[in-house]
Amino acid sequence: MNVRIEEIDGNVVAILEGNLDTAAAAETEKAMSPLNDVEGKDIIIDCTALAYISSAGLRIFLGILQNAQAKGGHVYIKGINDNVRAVFTITGFSNIFEFK
Amino acid sequence: MLLQQYRELRPTLQKLSDEAYNLLRHALREQGIYITAMEHRVKTEKSLMGKLELKGPKYKSIDDVTDLVGLRVITFYTDEVDKVAAIAKRMFDIDWQESVDKRKLHKLDSFGYNSLHYICRLKTGGPRFELQMRTALQHVWSTIEHDTGYKGDVKVPDVYLRQFNRLAGMAELMDDEFSRLRTVLTDYRRQTLALVKSGKLDDVPLSRDTFRSYLELHPFDRLNKRIAAVNQAEIWPVSVMSYLPVLESFGMETLGQVQRFIDENSEDAHQLALSQLAITDLDILSSNTALQYLCLVYVLKHDGGRDGLKSLYDLINGENDANGIVADMMMEQAKTLPFMR
Repeated sequence: MNVRIEEIDGNVVAILEGNLDTAAAAETEKAMSPLNDVEGKDIIIDCTALAYISSAGLRIFLGILQNAQAKGGHVYIKGINDNVRAVFTITGFSNIFEFK
Repeated sequence: MLLQQYRELRPTLQKLSDEAYNLLRHALREQGIYITAMEHRVKTEKSLMGKLELKGPKYKSIDDVTDLVGLRVITFYTDEVDKVAAIAKRMFDIDWQESVDKRKLHKLDSFGYNSLHYICRLKTGGPRFELQMRTALQHVWSTIEHDTGYKGDVKVPDVYLRQFNRLAGMAELMDDEFSRLRTVLTDYRRQTLALVKSGKLDDVPLSRDTFRSYLELHPFDRLNKRIAAVNQAEIWPVSVMSYLPVLESFGMETLGQVQRFIDENSEDAHQLALSQLAITDLDILSSNTALQYLCLVYVLKHDGGRDGLKSLYDLINGENDANGIVADMMMEQAKTLPFMR
């Protein structure tokens, strides 16, 4: 699981690559932790190359969302594949995030 | 001489301004009084000079000028002005000789500046200060009136003064109507909540307020827990209010209809959720999961088919092509379930 964080067009973009399963969750959470310090900018989680997400991955996304919302920020999820979208839908989280 | 006294007193005045402001702000917050704004200032030397020029002989010492420090509380409603005043009476010593309720100064057939002014002193002593309390509408009126009427270079003709006073009358009427409306709505909410709590749901129209009251009964908890039990999942609390437009789109007009919708579809919603979740190890669900599956079942039972599901997801998630893909996936899972036969 690879995580890259870049600033693109004034947004903070986290680019995820691989399978965000339970085994990769702790390392991914650490790699994405700088997103919790973002203020005054939107966060985009680019999931174009994310093949799979587990409950542990959902928890990471929810934590980032909760943190950003508390500061009045937005979190957008970009480019998710059908499998990942299905996970968001069947767990009832599809209308909690903003998808691009 | 007064100006010299003012200059010497200025640091004390600044301290007083901050202290009185913080004391009152804290007390208002503690009492849960929502206000539009709260301002505080120390009178500038320029403004004091202007005042002394106009009313100089009235003042023997700087202590006679009661508005060197000014606080202003702007409320939403007229009755809140009196609540703020009651709190101020408790917090500060009020100089009743100098305080004035301008709301009560008008004759029966006149309108104009409406504001409650208290001249106060901290309980610990020190210089006096002025506390103005008024509604947002009164504030707008008096600010514009002050800006337009007191420029001083040209005397405002009576015809325009009359227009200002007519507007003051209108502001007073609007303030009263807003207060009346708030009382009516509070009563309505209370009655509705009582109906919800007594279970007379067919008598309660479905609206944002009533649905929120209904949610206090946790109507989706049981189904959420049943669905969560599939994978021993954690239920993550989120707002369910976004589903209100969905229920309205189903033609539901009362909470009674919502309750029957839950009662009649819970078993099938559980089956549908089971078919989705049992094949995964997902152990976190949002608290709107139960309602989502109830809505899916309702659409399918009413022959909505794939297009109905897509429309449902468009309402829940906002319109996008991906909702079609999710609708196809849900349709595929649902078609094997008993309620679809």
